[in-house]
Amino acid sequence: MQLQMTRTLEEPMTPPALAGLRILDMTQIAAGPYATLLLGFMGAEIIKVESCSRMDINRGLARPTPETYRMYPQGIPGERPWNRSAHHIHRNVNKRSVTLDLASAQGKELFVKLTAICDALIENYRASVLDRLGLGYPQLCAVNPRLVYVKISSQGATGPETDYGSLGSTLEQTAGLASITGYEDGRPLMTNETYPDPVVGTLAVGALMAALLRRHRTGKGTFIDLSQREVAVALLGEAVVDYSRSGRLAAPIGNRHPLMAPHGVYPCQGDDLWVAIAVGSDAEWRGLCHAIGQPELAEDARFATLPGRWQNQRALDDMLSAWTRGHSHYQAMHILQAHGVPAGPVVTAGEVLGEPHLEARGFWDTVNHPEAGTYRQVSTPWRLSKSPRRAASPAPGLGEHNGYVLGELLGLSGQEIAMLEAKGVIGTRPVSMDEP
Amino acid sequence: MPENGLTLGDVCVLDLSEDIAGPFCSKLLAGLGAEVIKVERPGSGDVSRHAGAGLGASPHPEQSALFLYLNTGKKSISLDITSQTGAAILRRLARECDILLESFPPGYLERLDLGYAALEPLHPGLIYTSVTPFGQSGPYRDFKGSELIAQAMGGLMQTIGLPDREPLKIGGNAACYTTGMSAFSATMIALYARHVQGYGQHVDVSAMETMAVAQIHSSIHHQFGRTPSRRESPLVEAKDGWVSPGLERGVRQDTWVRVCELIGRPDLKDNPAFNTPEARREHQQDLLAILSGWTATQPKEEIYHLFQELRSVAGYVATVDDLFTSRQLVARQFFQVIDHPVAGKALYPGAPFTIQGHAWPHTRAPLLGEHNGEIYGGRLGLSTADLARLRGAGTI
Repeated sequence: MQLQMTRTLEEPMTPPALAGLRILDMTQIAAGPYATLLLGFMGAEIIKVESCSRMDINRGLARPTPETYRMYPQGIPGERPWNRSAHHIHRNVNKRSVTLDLASAQGKELFVKLTAICDALIENYRASVLDRLGLGYPQLCAVNPRLVYVKISSQGATGPETDYGSLGSTLEQTAGLASITGYEDGRPLMTNETYPDPVVGTLAVGALMAALLRRHRTGKGTFIDLSQREVAVALLGEAVVDYSRSGRLAAPIGNRHPLMAPHGVYPCQGDDLWVAIAVGSDAEWRGLCHAIGQPELAEDARFATLPGRWQNQRALDDMLSAWTRGHSHYQAMHILQAHGVPAGPVVTAGEVLGEPHLEARGFWDTVNHPEAGTYRQVSTPWRLSKSPRRAASPAPGLGEHNGYVLGELLGLSGQEIAMLEAKGVIGTRPVSMDEP
Repeated sequence: MPENGLTLGDVCVLDLSEDIAGPFCSKLLAGLGAEVIKVERPGSGDVSRHAGAGLGASPHPEQSALFLYLNTGKKSISLDITSQTGAAILRRLARECDILLESFPPGYLERLDLGYAALEPLHPGLIYTSVTPFGQSGPYRDFKGSELIAQAMGGLMQTIGLPDREPLKIGGNAACYTTGMSAFSATMIALYARHVQGYGQHVDVSAMETMAVAQIHSSIHHQFGRTPSRRESPLVEAKDGWVSPGLERGVRQDTWVRVCELIGRPDLKDNPAFNTPEARREHQQDLLAILSGWTATQPKEEIYHLFQELRSVAGYVATVDDLFTSRQLVARQFFQVIDHPVAGKALYPGAPFTIQGHAWPHTRAPLLGEHNGEIYGGRLGLSTADLARLRGAGTI
């Protein structure tokens, strides 16, 4: 496989950490695709399997309705909307696409052959889907005992609600995260960012690595059962432990902190621009007083201690807001940080793309997608000093790599591949496109 | 496989990190069977020992719920690494470990001659993971961060909350936990690379970047011409809490018709404002208003189950007490009872994933310095007299 590497001057070139690893990707929507996105950045070969009758939901509708046009670059679905939707473009970089109709015997057979030449399978369908297709872990393990099967599901692979469906937004609720998120009025709210999805995707990478290390020793693959709901519960572990010991039920407290004050976001110059400030120690408090030009506040007995500041946080919020209103959110950060005060702008969608710090660290990749144009791509939350990150390759068109996967990897002839296409086992267009 | 059968049973982690992100990473490594030696400041220990889960500080350093949760399965030694003797002891320990995890401000350990550059020659196989708010390079490298600031600066927070209010933080410590997961996965990638390619390396994990990766809508939609903003909540009130009907994505064709029957509104079946998932998304608040008459009379968990049976992706807002009675979480024995000599018995969230063949150990968090004897005496071979001298000097 050809890899483009991100070069840095100071480090010698070594292979990507996951070079030589091949992963069969049966993921959709966000949590699963995020896991394989990250694995692809670290050098694994990702083969994304979809069928023409059931594409990754990220690709949108085969025939988009006007209500869904906002999913596409500039609101235009284009000639092949399934290759152009924003979610697909963003979550499926570094992957190759093969289509297989898994309802057909031939599609299944090819899928099984693919698992035989892969190190891992990652999937996040409703829990029973692959089992019902006869493609569950027991069947695949019989073909490839070295296969690591990563099952990401809403509720886990077992239990009475195993087949319940969910989205990241649902999991915020059922895991309790929404019950501690909200303004001080106590009404629970959700993130609008389906937060558990990227969280689960990030964690699944490490889980897979653990199973691969295990395989080095045992010579055998294994099965990973990852319940998204349980992962999301892990995000509020201290609230769980505390409730079981004390009966105190955690509830929303807005942007406040149980100990720190002042703590929150404060309005700045401009429309809907804010700076986040989190003051804990006395030293940070003194720094804040000097930063906002009121050194005498540091001598005010009401605010001399953390508990005092916490008791009087509303008064502090008013004073602080009066100062922040006179500054831009970035200015406020620089002034406060120069005085040792933890502060940072609430960065907007436009600003995050040009954020100077992210820029300096090379966080964004620029991708030129043949059907969506040039855009900036999220990369990895880590950098390894010797294992380079792969430069992002554009998200594949539906079935774009049918020839490579079936021909080069599985050794099918051009004629055989053409036959599969004629029978509708593979394809590059959604099936419903061709229906009346 | 190591003799104990644990996935990372032959891996040793020297953990200098504190608070949430780093310790959550090493908690996961301990769950996979690694021996985690937590190095704490003599006297006060990890800052999370002093965090209260409710309002106010923890009354006792061995009773903080945050510390107890984040440090399951670890050993604790106390060590003053700012002293020359302490730093020398740390170098000896680092030579015997596979992974060193730290969360100091960038440059701090370098000044103690304990940075990656100083340790790599002693132990080329060492994986050295640094977990910080902004990473080891860049203009904000030396800035101070926090949970709130990570959520703000990663571009995540701007779209959270209601349209007429200020941006809202995700509750608790979600960014720090997620950063811990980034550190865990990155460390595991480095460990895998070491197995295959034979060298250790420096792993740089940033909370800000973890949050920038977690914003999965804002940056891409903005570039493609639509900037997401804070919007109305998709939750509707039930008799005893909140639910979301989940009728906008991933539902079956017949789900809507069946919902109309369930709520006694068959007249809405063919209403074009609601009869496709896209239309329901478009008219979400109208739909919630219609449903609210019915949901207000039903318990939230019943609505959840009824709507799930109709193949929607419904949810209900579980509060922490609801988690303990969820039949699904109970059936999977997700919560674990762990006893602790000072804090007593409590329920803990269990393994966030399971690996067939690996038994996730569920053992308690250590007392401050509990394993000084075992590690300094047993591992490093220091005598009782040596230990007394170190203790006298305040090194341990």
